[in-house]
Parts: sequence; structure tokens; C-alpha cells
Amino acid sequence: MTTTPKRKRLPLTVIGGFLGAGKTTLLNRWLREANGLRMAVLVNDFGALNIDADLIAATHGDTMALTNGCVCCQIGDDLGRALVEVIEAKTPFDAVVIEASGVSDPWRIAQIGMAAPELSLEGVIVLVDASAAARQAHDPLLADTLARQVKSADLVVVNKADIASAEALAGAHAWVEATAPGTPRIGTVESAVPLALLSGLPHAEGALPHACGPDCHDHHHDHGAPDHGGVFQTWNARPDAVIPAAMLRAWLREMPPGVLRLKGLVRTGRGDAGDEWSELQFAGRHGTLRKAAAPAGEARAGVVAIGLRGQLPEEALKAFFTP
Amino acid sequence: MSQTNTTIYAARKIITMNPMQPHATHVAVRDGRVLAVGSLADMQAWGTATLDERFAAKVLMPGLVEGHCHLKEGSMWDWTYLGWFDRRDPAGKVWSGLRSMDEVVSRLTEVAAKMTADGVPDTEPLVAWGFDPIYFGGERMTVHHVDRASATRPIVIGHANGHLMNVNSAMLRIAEITRDNEVEGVVKFAEGPDEGEPTGELQEPAAMFLVLRKIGNAGLLAPMTEAGVRSFAKLACLQGVTTATDLVNKLTEEDCGVLEKVTQDDGFAVRILPAFQAFHGTHGAAQGAEHVKGLMPRNTDRLRYGLVKMMLDGSIQGFSARLRWPGHFNGAPNGIWVTAPAQYEADFETYHRAGLTIHTHTNGDEASEVAIDAIGRVLTRAPRPDHRHTLQHGQMIDAPLFRRMASLGLCANLFANHIWYWGDQHYEMTMGPDRANRLDACGSALAAGVPLAIHSDAPVTPLGPLFTAWCAVNRITPKGRLLGEAERISVPQALRAITLGAAWTLKLDGEIGSIECGKRADFCVLEDDPLEMDPMALKDARVWGTVLSGRVFEAQRG
Repeated sequence: MTTTPKRKRLPLTVIGGFLGAGKTTLLNRWLREANGLRMAVLVNDFGALNIDADLIAATHGDTMALTNGCVCCQIGDDLGRALVEVIEAKTPFDAVVIEASGVSDPWRIAQIGMAAPELSLEGVIVLVDASAAARQAHDPLLADTLARQVKSADLVVVNKADIASAEALAGAHAWVEATAPGTPRIGTVESAVPLALLSGLPHAEGALPHACGPDCHDHHHDHGAPDHGGVFQTWNARPDAVIPAAMLRAWLREMPPGVLRLKGLVRTGRGDAGDEWSELQFAGRHGTLRKAAAPAGEARAGVVAIGLRGQLPEEALKAFFTP
Repeated sequence: MSQTNTTIYAARKIITMNPMQPHATHVAVRDGRVLAVGSLADMQAWGTATLDERFAAKVLMPGLVEGHCHLKEGSMWDWTYLGWFDRRDPAGKVWSGLRSMDEVVSRLTEVAAKMTADGVPDTEPLVAWGFDPIYFGGERMTVHHVDRASATRPIVIGHANGHLMNVNSAMLRIAEITRDNEVEGVVKFAEGPDEGEPTGELQEPAAMFLVLRKIGNAGLLAPMTEAGVRSFAKLACLQGVTTATDLVNKLTEEDCGVLEKVTQDDGFAVRILPAFQAFHGTHGAAQGAEHVKGLMPRNTDRLRYGLVKMMLDGSIQGFSARLRWPGHFNGAPNGIWVTAPAQYEADFETYHRAGLTIHTHTNGDEASEVAIDAIGRVLTRAPRPDHRHTLQHGQMIDAPLFRRMASLGLCANLFANHIWYWGDQHYEMTMGPDRANRLDACGSALAAGVPLAIHSDAPVTPLGPLFTAWCAVNRITPKGRLLGEAERISVPQALRAITLGAAWTLKLDGEIGSIECGKRADFCVLEDDPLEMDPMALKDARVWGTVLSGRVFEAQRG
């Protein structure tokens, strides 16, 4: 007996970072800017979120519904329960964001996104307090905890650049670079991380193998054009050739640096009974490949990748997918 | 008038734990409290009384106090026990320890067959607990073992450490776990005909989530139930325990409802002190403190709100405890903070200023040191006499830290059962010989003048204060090691730790923990005299039952 999910996989983003790095500010910002994107935000304590009263539609126990369609849930110590509620919600969500606690390793949470059939891991964003990181990183009680967080990120946001001294800011960047070399990193103030990171790939959905009929309510076509803010860059292709699964898996393990997210649906075999299709996904510095149904209608493969502007390895991507 | 309600119990011996009157032969009980202790003649000074001789051949001690356990010990027995050590269930039946994979499979097979014979639908999972591969010398359990018990009924086996589980093929199918699942915690066969297929071993939360979400409340995450709490009381009675903590409880309205309903029953044989979970919660510390204080007016004799539980690090055998230099013996990286040190200090101060007593989980010595540092600063800012804050587990605390604890008025409730259950693993893997020899250093704690209690952390290890006392007195391991001869404490010291010592950490030493005039009539009724036995036999002292506030409870025997 299997229960193959009927819905589109729900993209899961994990927000990590030590106390004071700006996680709550980031979530507040995204909730206000959701702009039609139905987001479920799982936090440790929604008292800390400080949501504007006029944005709150209703509160029931550990769940708070917002007037813009988003929902906040308190995790307490049972993330699984909170996540099941989100997965099984009557009206499906477009995205789920989990706030990791200030001392936890966000990668452990991110793995749930890779494990559950209804979820897909979208990424692990770790915030760093530019004004405190260099000092905290030298605290023998905290150094390993902070390093573990940064090492599990696929995007590091060096936040609070405005209140950090020039020396502290440079120290924070140097520490991140030394701890997680090559991990994409942006600097910002007041947790101003573009929401495009949640919805960035659907934005490039021209390249995604999603066939829409007139009755399609599967996803949002119009939640505003997310502004990539000049921060991100996408690349897409339609690889028509068969790429064997073993080759794809090997390539996913050796992903060229600079790719933040990559998604696609490609042929991994041809047979008498029809082509074999697989869904590939790279996020959180980890690739997965799962067997998938053939795309409906015009059966074309598609791959889309996103990275920081100027850092996306387009040549390497081209060389692999459309040689 | 009330003389007519006085009962005098005659005993072979009464060990009072009152150093000013250590022994007696009779105890008079009125209104659930001790009226008099001494000889029959001493009792008669109070006038007419009923002489009850049912304990004439038995030994009475103060009711034992378990300062760190969990009510979950009661509901674990809804599921199948697969541990390495013998263990007694609430009905008094001893489940033998399973010493090979074949023994594990045959118990699962029996239970699966019985479920089917009893008409339990095939979709209902068989849930088992307590399995610990650490004792199986490297052999891992796979679907090939578990499928022998049932190919159709889902089987879920929780490991003793809580971080792993094994399932059978039927459960893998329901959870949709296949070779394509690439999450790290889904273990796969590295070779052979099944290469690349899941073995059924699932490690850490992400992989276990796939199973738990399907079995939900039927499984290991089941909430506290009335039946589970009643089972706990039966286990307590079997072990001579009359007062026990539930040392992590969210204290939601549902939780409080269950506790209040069950404890108002006069047939309920144990006094419960639930400790509010002040970590990983959805309450800020200030609201948490208000919540606990708001519950305290609802206290009764058998239910006492007011304790607060905080948590700093993980577990030593799980390599998630915070250790000071030189770190783990096998080179594993340092463990994790459950609460950030600065957050701990801030929250601790809030609960402390609210007048509450805080019990802090610190396993590794770095966590203990962080707690002592933080509490020292809080007490400097906000002195409070007689706070009784307690470090729980404190397994790696050394003499200098104990001396600091003594100067701050901190109590220690040490996890003495670890010496037996994981002492060899600590010696060989986690901390090495030097620190294993001072594991749960009861001798050092007493030498430094730290008020001492010892505990089981049931269900992590079985509830049984006399067994815990045996661990602290003998300090031997299953492989026959003696861990730190000089850290051993005497039998009277250990008996104090499981009565008055634990009562002190709960601020109940004026009410329980010894048998003397004015205290609750709480007794542990024994067939054997722990002070006369060979100390190596202390764990085998036979418990007849208990008396709680004057009510007699005979333990159920299997």
C-alpha cells in the first residue's frame, strides 16, 4: 500500500542562526511581504514574532492565521506534529519555512525536507550577526555551535552590517569564509533577504516541466513577480538527451560551486514501455534524484538553476546538460 | 476523639532516617501523619489506638523519594520491552533481558502472533522499546530480522537511546521509505543482494519522522494518559516509592487534567511533583513562571506543582553532552547545547526571581560548569536564601565544582544508575578511565558538603531507588569493573540520598523523608533489612509495598 502524494511537493526552507542574528525579523518581513504567496511559518514561540494585530485573522492554540493567507505555528518541542499539520492542511500551502532554534543545527531539520515525500528541501539560510559573530566565534562555549550552523548553510546572510563596526563586519565575513569556504554569502541589514529565495524557481517556471491546463489550481501563477533584487540569477535548459541516473547522481554529488538551487525533470532511460523520467533537485548543498511520472502534454525535459548574480557556473551547467 | 483513629504499626525494625532516633519498633499514625515513633509503651502515652501487626515481621523505612524520573515509565509498558536487562512491569511481571538478536525476534514473533490471535487488525503497529544494540557487539538489526516476526503487521522498535529505530518491511512500505530516499538517516545495505535497499534502521529525527507521522499517537510520542499514570503508581509501589517527580511536563490544561483526576483517587499510591518544561517551550520565561505559580494553589497532598525544569546539554552516551577538556575519549566532537548559555542564565533568573526552585539537566562537566557560573551570577544579583536549586545528572562534576556548588547552596541529584548501565561504555568510549572513575561522584559530593540525591531517570533506566543506592554503594559495572573505589558511599549515606536527600531537593524534607512525629506517614515496607544485608545484595532487598499518608498499598506481584 502506498499513498503517492497527489499535491505538488511543498518547498521547505530552514532559517538558522544564533540568538540575535535576525531570524525573527526575517520571518516578520517575509510574512508582511508574502504578497499572495501562501506561506506556513513554523517558529519556536510566536509571542516573539510580534505580528501586527491588524494582520492577525485568528489564533487557535498553537496556530495563528494571518489575513494574507499565511499561517504561523508554534513548534514547541514537537516539530513533527507541526509539520504534519502543515502538510495535511485542507488548503495547500505554497511554501513552508521553519525557524531553527538559536543553538540547533539547521541541517538536521533540513533533512526532514529531503525525507518526507510531500516536501522538497528548498534551502538552508543561516543568518550571522555581523556585530557579534567574530566575538562569538572565539567563545569556546559557542564556537563549535556557530561553525556547525554556518557549515550547514547553502546561503549565509551576514546581517546587521549597519550596526557592526568595519572591523567586526570584516571579521564576520572572514570567519564565515574560513568556516564554510565557497558557500554563497550576502551582506544585508535588518534581515532584508529577498523573498525570491522562496519563490525564485517557480518564477523561472518557463523552464520547468509543469503543464498547466485551464483548471490548474496547483500552484500560484500570480503572486507578483518576485524581485530578484539584482541578487540572484537563473539559468535554464531543456536537455532532450537521456542522462543515466548514475551519471546524474554522481554529478549532483560534485555540483559545481555557485549553484544555490537546481530543479529539473529529465529522461533517465528509454524503453519499450516508454521513457523513464526522474525529478532532480539540488538544494541545501545536497542533491536528490527520484523517479517521476512523465510530464503531461508536450513531453519535454527542463532544468532550472539559481545562484548569486555573477556566481552561477553557466558554462559548467551547459557542459553537462546540453553538451 | 481523634484517638480512635490512631493506628499503631508494630515492625521488626523501623529505620527512621532520623539521626536523633535511628531505630524503633513501633510507629503511631493519625490523620495520615506520624504521631509517635518508639516502643509500644511510647505509643500508649497517646491513649487508645488500634494495634496493627501486619508489619510485625517486616522492616519499615521512610517512603522512598525518586527525585528524577518520568511518568512515561508507566505507559512504556503499553508496548513490548526488548531491553538487554531484566525489567519488571507494572503488574509485577519480570520481563527477561534479551541477550541475542534471535531472542529479540522470538519475543516480537510471540507478541505479533498474540496480537493477531486477539483480533487486533493487521494495520495496527507493534511498537517495541528499550532495544540497545550497544550490547550486541557490532551486529546491526535489519529487516531480515524483524520481518521474521511479521511480514504484514508494521513493527516499530525504538532504541533505548531515543535517537534510532528499526522497522520491518511492512512499516517501510507504509512510510514510503525506498532506495530512492536519500536522507542521511535512512541506513541502506552496503553490499549483497539487497545493496542500496533500506535496512530498516532509521537514525535521527528526519528519518524517524517518516515513521512517527504514520503511527502518530499510537506510538512512542503518545501523550500522557490516565492509564499510564496509574501504571506508574503501581511501579512506584513495587519499588517502595511514595514520592516521585515527573521531571519534564508541559503542564498544558490536558496534562493537568490527567494529573488532577488520577491523583484525587485515594487508591493512587504515589505523590507526584511535575516539573514545568522551561525549555523548547512556547512560553517565554516570564509567562512560564506565572503559569507555574498559577497552578500551585491547586496543589493537594498527592499532587504538587511548583518545580521548574531547565536543560543545558544532551547525553553522554549519545555524545551530545557538553564536555570540558580533554573532550570525548574516542575523539568524537563536543556535544550540543539544548539551551544557549546566555539564554539559560536569563531564563533561570526569571524563574529564580519568581521564587521557584529550578532543576537543571547538565550531563557533561562543561554544562555543569556553565550552570554553576550562571547561577553564581544570578545569586549575586538576586540573593535568595534556601533556594534549593539542583543540578540533575551532574555525571562528570569533580571536587572543585562540588565545592563551588556547596558555596552557592546548590544541590546535586546524580545519575548513579549510569555506573551500572553505561559505566563500561564510559570507561572504554565516551570519557576514558580517569573521568569514568569519578562518574556520578557521590563520595566527592558528600565530602564537599553538597546535599545529595541519586536517581534512575526512569524510563531511561528502571525505577528503583534501592537499586540506585546499590549502584552508588558498590560502583561496579556489568564487566566487573569497580569505577572509583573512593567515590563509593556507605549504605546509610545511600539510604539517606533516596529519602531525606531527595526530599531536600524538592523542599519537602520537613514533610517526608524520615519517620518522625509530624511528618507524613509514608513508609517503604520491606521484607529485608537493608542495613543488615551484604551491601552487594542491597538491590535485592524485597519490597512488600508502601504506606502513603497512612494508606497501605501492597505491591502487585507478577
